[in-house]
Amino acid sequence: MSISIPALAEELKPYVGRSERTDLGIMRKETFQRFAISADNLNPIFFEPEAARAAGYSDVVAPPLYLSAVRNWQIGPPQDGLRPDGTTSHEFAFLPLEGLRIMGGGQDLDFHAPVTDGTRVSMELRLDGVELKRGRSGDLLLIKVTQIYRDAADRPLVTCRETFIAR
Amino acid sequence: MHGHQLCFEDLKTGSALTPLVKRPTTVQLFRFSAVTWNAHRIHFDKPYAGTEGYPDVLVQAHLHGSFLFQAVADWAGPRARVTAFRWQNRGIAIAGDILTCTGTVAKAEGGAVECELEERNQKGDLCASGWARVELPRRG
Repeated sequence: MSISIPALAEELKPYVGRSERTDLGIMRKETFQRFAISADNLNPIFFEPEAARAAGYSDVVAPPLYLSAVRNWQIGPPQDGLRPDGTTSHEFAFLPLEGLRIMGGGQDLDFHAPVTDGTRVSMELRLDGVELKRGRSGDLLLIKVTQIYRDAADRPLVTCRETFIAR
Repeated sequence: MHGHQLCFEDLKTGSALTPLVKRPTTVQLFRFSAVTWNAHRIHFDKPYAGTEGYPDVLVQAHLHGSFLFQAVADWAGPRARVTAFRWQNRGIAIAGDILTCTGTVAKAEGGAVECELEERNQKGDLCASGWARVELPRRG
């Protein structure tokens, strides 16, 4: 667990500007409706086709925060592959972030088009920047990423910019 | 409060959003963690959360975001479109807290409004701040 944050900052620099695209699979209404229920958001445009059509959509739509709220679209590791706090860094795909504690604190989102039942979604993760902060409580990294979610026709659905704190 | 529809002409700078009040429970936090495949124990394991110095399980960052988003979308109505949204977590909230989302129109121009948003707990502490751009239908 002796990770050198300054050394990792250097190691991450060549990755800035690089991106990787992952297929997230086909979105199903039952899954995004579960998300809506768990968020206590019972807007009928998520559940009732007639209400969705009356609102100008072709069918029920996913809550717009759904795609970027799922922390890991992969299956994830077995339990003994999780860290003691239950987290995993698997969601960061190609970035060498094993062993770090990573915290998000918000997102900056553009919504381009709605997600409906049957939409096949891919996600491009791009590293925009890495900044080393040296503070009294220790070193930390600010990791800036952009995630672009697209449908099978390559049309953007959601763009999500996020800065993670890693220590 | 679904179905009511605001139009662009209804709003001007300073217009207030309808407040949205949420009281997340441990069951809600568990289900939100499950559906987002988030096994971070601070959200469902109170004894573990205590080891990190928290008084109870924490509301997820994205659940704060979802509450703020819902406040805007429900207020604007089903034919409005939130085209951009951001939020930032400012303080923790735990299961049982009463979270109130409020907001005001900061700009109204060209058929769209920009709103500044806040989520505060029952003590008035700021838990999250946000911003949204909403395109609205025109009257008539």
